[in-house]
Amino acid sequence: MHFRYQSGQQSAEVTLERSGDGFRALVNGVAYAVEVLDRQPGVLSLRFDGRPLTFYWAQDGSRKWISQGGCTYWLDPPAQRASQRGSEGDGNTAVRAPMPAQVLAVQVASGDPVERGQVLLLLEAMKMEIQVKSPAAGRVNRLLAAVGQTVDRDQLLVEIGE
Amino acid sequence: MFKKVLVANRGEIAVRIIRACREMGITAVAVYSDADRRALHVRLADEAVNIGPAQASESYLSVERVLQAAAATGAEAIHPGYGFLSENADFARAVQQAGLVFIGPTPEAIEAMGDKGRARTRMEAAGVPVAPGYQGLDDPAALEAAAAKISLPLLIKAAAGGGGKGMRVVHQLSELVEAAAAARREAQHAFGDGRLILERYIPHARHIEFQVLADQHGNLVHLFERECSVQRRHQKIIEETPSPYLTEALRAKMGEAAVAAARSVGYTNAGTVEFIVDSQSGDFYFLEMNTRLQVEHPVTEWTVGIDLVQWQIRIAAGEPLPFKQDNLSQRGHAIECRLYAEDPANNFLPATGPLLTFAVPSGPGVRMDSGFTSGDQITIHYDPLIAKVTAWGENRPAAIQRMTAALRETVLLGITHNGQFLQDVLSDPQFIAGGVYTTWVEEHFNGWQPPQCGLPPEVLVAAALAQLQPPSAAADEHDPYSPWRMPNGYRVGQ
Repeated sequence: MHFRYQSGQQSAEVTLERSGDGFRALVNGVAYAVEVLDRQPGVLSLRFDGRPLTFYWAQDGSRKWISQGGCTYWLDPPAQRASQRGSEGDGNTAVRAPMPAQVLAVQVASGDPVERGQVLLLLEAMKMEIQVKSPAAGRVNRLLAAVGQTVDRDQLLVEIGE
Repeated sequence: MFKKVLVANRGEIAVRIIRACREMGITAVAVYSDADRRALHVRLADEAVNIGPAQASESYLSVERVLQAAAATGAEAIHPGYGFLSENADFARAVQQAGLVFIGPTPEAIEAMGDKGRARTRMEAAGVPVAPGYQGLDDPAALEAAAAKISLPLLIKAAAGGGGKGMRVVHQLSELVEAAAAARREAQHAFGDGRLILERYIPHARHIEFQVLADQHGNLVHLFERECSVQRRHQKIIEETPSPYLTEALRAKMGEAAVAAARSVGYTNAGTVEFIVDSQSGDFYFLEMNTRLQVEHPVTEWTVGIDLVQWQIRIAAGEPLPFKQDNLSQRGHAIECRLYAEDPANNFLPATGPLLTFAVPSGPGVRMDSGFTSGDQITIHYDPLIAKVTAWGENRPAAIQRMTAALRETVLLGITHNGQFLQDVLSDPQFIAGGVYTTWVEEHFNGWQPPQCGLPPEVLVAAALAQLQPPSAAADEHDPYSPWRMPNGYRVGQ
C-alpha cells in the first residue's frame, strides 16, 4: 500500500506491508518495524522501531492533522497545482484579509483613487478591530467586500490598480 | 443559600461557575446565544435559556434579555462572570431592582472604580499611590505645563476607558498636543467621553495585581498577588503567583494598599486591585480595580487553597468570611497559560475554525478550564480564549516544568493557536529568571515563527495507518474488496 503526502514544500512517500502482527513501513526508502498498540477514534498508538508513540489525528477536508510529542503537523494530498490566488501578476495589487473577520466598514468605493497607507476597510473579529490599509497608491479596481460580510483569512478584499 | 443561580456568561467561565453551583447543590441556569446553542456551558447546565442572536450586543450584553431569563427560570441570583455585563453598574442595579442578588460588588463600588479619573482621585485620598499625573486638562497650555512637571515619557489615557483605547505614549514634549488631541478623539468615539489623564509613563513596568475578598460584614482580606507581566496588546497571556519580583516587605506594603483601595469604595465580594511596578525603583502605582472575578483567578485558588467562585456565591448570600488576613498564606507556586485561537506569527491576530480534536492534559497539579470540547467551533463572535491551563508546583521551577509538560500534552487540532508560543516563552531564559515586563513580549518575540518540526517518518507512517481501516472480526483477510485492503485516500503507484 502506497501513500504520498505533502506538507508545505516537503513531500514524502510511505509504503506499508503486512509483516507478522504488524507492518513493515518504508518511508522514502528507509524501513521501519511498526505495530499498532491501540486504535481509538482520532488516537493511534504505535510501537515504531521499538518506541511506543501516541498520535492524535483529525481529518479536515483533504487535510490530515497529526500531533505527536507536542508538535503538530498537517499533511495534504500530493500537490494539485496551487490554486489561482486572485489576479496578481496582472498589474493589480491584491489586498487580503489579515484575519477571519466581519467587515465593519468600507471606506472606499470602486474607482476611487487611494494613497499608500490609506484605510480601505475596518474588520472586526473577537472584539478586536483592525484597519486594512492600502499597500500602494493607485485606484480601486475591484471592491469585493461589503459591510456585514464575513471573510476568511487571506480572502481577497480589494484590488488596487494603476 | 440560593437554590437557583443564573450564569450570565459563556465559555470557560460559565463552565467554571456552573461547576461551583453544582458542588454547592445550587441549580445552575445557563444563557446562550444562537451561536452557542450546543456549547459546553449549555450542555453542563441544569437549565438553559436562549437570549438572542450571536451578536453579543443583542444577547450576552442585553440587560433586558438576561433579566427576562432570570425571571422565567425563577433564579434568585445572577453571576456575571467576567467581561460582558460584569462591570456594568446599571446592570447590577437592575438586578437588585428586579429583586434578585447580583453576585459581585454594589453598583456604587462598580461606578467608583469604573471611571479611571474618579478612581484616581479617590485612591489619592485613600493614601494609595498613584503615578504622578494630572487630569481635567483641556487647553494645550495647561497640558504642556502639567507635562513639564511630571517629566517624560508620558502616558495619556482615557479617563472613562480601558482596553488600551485612547492610550498614547509621549516621548517628546513636541508630540504632546497632537497626541492628546488624537487620544481625546479616540476616547470620545469609544466611550462618549473625551476626558484624559496624563501620567508618567513607566518603562519596563511590571503588572502585579492583588486579589481581594470582602464579605458584607466588614471583613476584607487580600489573597496575595498575581504577576501578569507577560502580555501582548495589553492582554495577559501568562500569569503566576507568587511574583518572582516581590520581596516580603514590598508584598506586605502592596497588600495593605490593595486592602485600603477596596475599603475606600466599600468593596464587597471578589475583586482585583491592579498595580504598575517600576522594576528599577520598586515603586508601585494604582492602575485600576477590576470589580469582578478575574480570568487568572485559578492561580490564587491553587496557592491559597480557597475556592473563589464558591466564596463569591457565599458572600452574595450573606455568609461571613471565616478567616482573617493572618490566617492566609500561600503554598507553592502556580502558573496559568491562556490558550488563544490566534496566530502569534501573524501579529497575534485572531484565528477561527473547528476544534477537530481537543485532548486535555492531566496528572498531579494540572488544571484545565475550557468552554469547548472536540467538535466545537471557534467563531469570530466572542473572545479568542480556548482554554486556561494552570499548573501548581512546590516552587517556581517545578511549576514551570509542570506547565511545559502540560502544554506538550495538550492537543488542539484544526485551528491555529498559541500553544507553541507559550512553550517558547516558558523556556526563555529571561522568563525563567523572572525578569520580564509588560512590553517584553513585543520587544523580545517580534517576528516570532513556529519552530520547524520537519516531517519525521513516524508521523508519516501514523498518517498512513490512520487512513487504513482496522480489520474487523468479520472481515475476510482474503476478500479483495475488504476496506482493510482498499484504504480510502491518496493511494498511488498500483
